[in-house]
Amino acid sequence: MASKYVGLFIFFHIVSLNVMSQTSAFPTPTASTNDKTVYNRQLTEERPIQAQIAEADSVKAAVQSAESKRPTSSKVTESQQDRDGLTLLKSLADGQKTQVKTEVSAKGVQYVPDESDSTKSRRLVEDYDSTKNGMDNDDPETFRQVDGTPLTAEDIVQKIANKIYEEDDRGVFDRIVSKLLKLGLITDSQADTLEYQVAEALQDLIAKNAKNNEIEGAESNDRETKEQQDDQGSDTNTDTWEQPRSRYSNKEGDEADDDVEEEADKDAEVQGGNAGDEGNEVSPEDGLQDLQYFPNFYLLLRSLDSDQDTQERETLITIMKTLIDFVKMMVKYGTITPEEGVSYLENLDAMIAMQTKSKLGKSLGLPDFTAPTGKNLDEDDNTKAEAAKMQREYENLKDSTKEEQQSPETRQPGKSQTYLEAIRKNIEWLKKHNKEEGKDDYDLSKLKDFMDQQVDSYIEKGIIAKDEGDTIKRIYSSL
Amino acid sequence: MKLFLTVLLLGAAVASATSAGTDGEISYEYHRYEELRKALVSVWLQCPTITRIYTIGESFEGRELLVLEMSDNPGTHEAGEPEFKYIANMHGNEAVGRELLIYLAQYLCNQYQQGNETVIELIHNTRIHLMPSMNPDGFEKAASQPGEIKDWFVGRSNAQGVDLNRNFPDLDRIIYVNEREGGANNHLLQNMKKAVDENTKLAPETKAVIHWIMDIPFVLSANLHGGDVVANYPYDETRTGSTHEYSASPDDVMFKSLAKAYSIYNPVMSDPQRPPCRKNDDDSSFKEGITNGGAWYSVPGGMQDFNYLSSNCFEITLELSCDKFPDEDTLKTYWEQNRNSLVNYIEQVHRGVKGFVRDFQGNPISNASISVEGIDHDITTAKDGDYWRLLAPGNYKVAASAPGYLTVIKKVAVPYSPATRVDFELESLMERKEEEREELMDWWKMMSETLNF
Repeated sequence: MASKYVGLFIFFHIVSLNVMSQTSAFPTPTASTNDKTVYNRQLTEERPIQAQIAEADSVKAAVQSAESKRPTSSKVTESQQDRDGLTLLKSLADGQKTQVKTEVSAKGVQYVPDESDSTKSRRLVEDYDSTKNGMDNDDPETFRQVDGTPLTAEDIVQKIANKIYEEDDRGVFDRIVSKLLKLGLITDSQADTLEYQVAEALQDLIAKNAKNNEIEGAESNDRETKEQQDDQGSDTNTDTWEQPRSRYSNKEGDEADDDVEEEADKDAEVQGGNAGDEGNEVSPEDGLQDLQYFPNFYLLLRSLDSDQDTQERETLITIMKTLIDFVKMMVKYGTITPEEGVSYLENLDAMIAMQTKSKLGKSLGLPDFTAPTGKNLDEDDNTKAEAAKMQREYENLKDSTKEEQQSPETRQPGKSQTYLEAIRKNIEWLKKHNKEEGKDDYDLSKLKDFMDQQVDSYIEKGIIAKDEGDTIKRIYSSL
Repeated sequence: MKLFLTVLLLGAAVASATSAGTDGEISYEYHRYEELRKALVSVWLQCPTITRIYTIGESFEGRELLVLEMSDNPGTHEAGEPEFKYIANMHGNEAVGRELLIYLAQYLCNQYQQGNETVIELIHNTRIHLMPSMNPDGFEKAASQPGEIKDWFVGRSNAQGVDLNRNFPDLDRIIYVNEREGGANNHLLQNMKKAVDENTKLAPETKAVIHWIMDIPFVLSANLHGGDVVANYPYDETRTGSTHEYSASPDDVMFKSLAKAYSIYNPVMSDPQRPPCRKNDDDSSFKEGITNGGAWYSVPGGMQDFNYLSSNCFEITLELSCDKFPDEDTLKTYWEQNRNSLVNYIEQVHRGVKGFVRDFQGNPISNASISVEGIDHDITTAKDGDYWRLLAPGNYKVAASAPGYLTVIKKVAVPYSPATRVDFELESLMERKEEEREELMDWWKMMSETLNF
């Protein structure tokens, strides 16, 4: 559940940022001289069909090998026999020349002209003269590592995650996957797996980069490097990333942004806490200072104060801080106006409240809740009163006219009436049935739970509308 | 409080004047999609322990193809419990069947709670699936027509203009070839999943139903239509391709019996003096309210024959009203005409022979073949090794076979009903070889002891 929640966060974050950002704000490392030819190709709009297929092949192969550890042959040869893993990687390597940054060029073709992409990235790189030397290594676009060894599936996932991270554009992923799906190279379930893996990799990236704000040299990478991390790949990537990140913190330091430093401190501490014994050392005062503007989030954290929620709590804090950092940076770089940043964060908080309520089924207990909730409470009371009224009537009359008295009303049913009627009949029958069989009173709470569960699954499948489901649940809870 | 009571009594008086008998809880009016959905949900809310709603997919315009399932253990196939289905409204403008299934759902739920023994027995021993509408898009189109008289054609096909009852893969062609030249006599749709998913000519509704048929081991089914009044049975498509020709299936005897089991309780359908629906209609093929499909008129690509030729399910087609989309105030009458037939037809699933096919260790053998001597149509066992072979009364030799096993044949005397239980234990070829080897060893041992070598 935690990872799902986190995943939701990530997704929401990425989507929102995607919505808000106009241009990519993060520098892209320059290509090595090897890849000059590749870069030039990128500028042309046309990509040979072969390249497209080959690239899709490699990703598909990567996905499949990630799943099943059994590489399959490329579609081009139209056969699905098992191939030697080495042969596959070799073909990947061969394909490297033709495997243009089709992601970028695809993006370019579809959304933004190629030119602006490449020049944009170049411009940003030139801003950071001092780092030009350092930014030579891993080009996230190619399918080959620095030292020329071909990539594993995990690397490819990592690369995609990096690309999404740096471009701030989840659309990258969607484009690749929809292309693969369209070509029939991967199935829906494989696409789901890929998405999940990329999301995880992205999550790692974000958390790591939050950590890297502060940590300079050696880092004890406490976080479990999940299967995505290839040693070499990760080192290269983190090298690449460390530099831009530390640059940011430098820049921020220039502006004497103490908060960030403090947060970064807390990040490190939080990360350390993740690994083990330090536990909840986060003191509410300083580190979570920024978070005071997120009352709902804060309450959510509060509610997660049991031991097993420690990890969850810390993950949430990290993510939240990262989000705040991003927004700050975007404001700094003029990507968004400060007002937009503020309103985004406010919306985020409101969204947290809503999601918490619906996903975790509990409210955060804020008095100034959004309107719908208030209305719900009112309706709840009404239904309760009505149900109680009906029960009383029934007990008063206790004859068959009761049913007939209902039918004129049910002829023009408010749907809650029809449903109420049906539920009442069920309860009646249960009472009678159990009496006849000499059992004790039916277990109302068990029935309620069962019905709640069923209602939820029906809502999911589109058999019941959400509001109807709520009505039914309310009726049951008022019994 | 007093005023309140007065109002209640007045209301009761008014209501009692308008409601009738035991069906007082059903309201006889047309249900559009939302109302259909809510009606099913209400039935489920009233009888949650014996019902379940599910959807087999979406129509072209995105409406759910809803099914209400009724059984003592909804949601699961109980080994040995036969599966039954009713599907209505595949032609969107043939509306009576759709309504009847909604009323049937309400009726079965009410009767169950009121202690009706027949209904309780039926629900405990059968898994009943009711799909009121296979073509909800067509229905909306037909129902939205202004004016009193609904068109004979508007809303018949799905939203893509496909006539769903001509859209199923035509397996009749194949069976007719196999009859002449030899070949399989059952389960004719090879590579099912792939063939269906890749077939671009199939409407989404058709695809959904085909998947449904593949997933659940249905035994008996009926498909509800309008425009005439008769119970129609396979084959629908003529052998020679002519427009009218009696086209008997291998189970012609059983199908006639099934069709009669429906028509007999419908006073209009079984009325020998009933005039044809329209003056120039040719219902010469109708006898006692039933007709062979091909004898009436040839229908290729229909759902009825598809069931029989691709799966174990026996399906007939029920035409329930001369008028495809009659006036709302006639619905109650249609319900009364069909109620008993609808229930009685479900009971027909408990006929013939049924049982389990297992190996010597007691493990179920799925997909074993059950063949009946003299009937050129085999059925197969389901996942738990269970099977149900519908048979008319008589004496039969029933054989169970499976690859790698030795066939077993049993003689059975089958009454009208209930179904006769016949289980099979199949010996695998390996086991037989082992036995023979052991026998040989024993003999050798005996010989060597006797002869002292």
